[in-house]
Amino acid sequence: MEFAKKIVETTEEIFNTMIFMEISADAPLEQGKQALGCHISAMIGLTGGFSAMLGIHCPEAIGLAISGAMLGMEIEEIDADVKDALGEIANMVAGGLKERFAAENIDLELAIPTAISGKSYTIASSTRSNRVIIPFSIEQGQFFIEMKYNLN
Amino acid sequence: MGKTVLIVDDSNTMRKIVSRSLRQAGIDFDQILEAGDGQEALDVLAANKVDVVLSDINMPNMTGLEFLKAKAEDNAIKDIPVIMISTETGADIIDEAKSYGAKGAIKKPFTPDLINETLGPLL
Repeated sequence: MEFAKKIVETTEEIFNTMIFMEISADAPLEQGKQALGCHISAMIGLTGGFSAMLGIHCPEAIGLAISGAMLGMEIEEIDADVKDALGEIANMVAGGLKERFAAENIDLELAIPTAISGKSYTIASSTRSNRVIIPFSIEQGQFFIEMKYNLN
Repeated sequence: MGKTVLIVDDSNTMRKIVSRSLRQAGIDFDQILEAGDGQEALDVLAANKVDVVLSDINMPNMTGLEFLKAKAEDNAIKDIPVIMISTETGADIIDEAKSYGAKGAIKKPFTPDLINETLGPLL
């Protein structure tokens, strides 16, 4: 189903057309527990042909840089605007995946995105879920897009 | 008298991006109004003269499709053109939006050029 390829394609499209930041995808991380060292995450659920939770996870500096680029202003701390901006990226990545899977006759519905922030948190899901984590690099450092999914 | 656009999206970030994209596209509105969901949009339309609406589809409280239905039933505002701007641009959703009067759709992510191509003919 080429989850990683679809995630990379849609993420690069979003950064090139609406965020105007140079971005490069790195090799997907190996399966298993990963400590991503992130301070803000935005997530969105997908249901239908399969069920999934897609998340974008950023260290604080990266979240501030990305949201600042989206809003066209300098942002100094994680606030509602940063959460909103990352939630919108999660929404657009999920929308891009929906479109790409629809071309393969796999229909999906999107939920409303949500975001969390903090110095230390973990996101738990079914241990039976499949998991893809793609690191992306921008000038300021690295962030991650993760997809946990269960095939119906 | 100058033109007024209403941008409807539950994301403050996206409302700012749409507003910036209008300027980058060279589309000059005298007034840009904002609403966070369909109900707020109806309230804004009831209180202001608006020339065109750019609306998201997936929103809490009242979705873009519910907004279109309610707008179509109000003679005072039913003829104001609406363009949908959404990640949801599958043929079924867009056909449903057009059946309620939407004049077109723009998929997120979008470029200023795409905004210009879609919105320009309505102004």
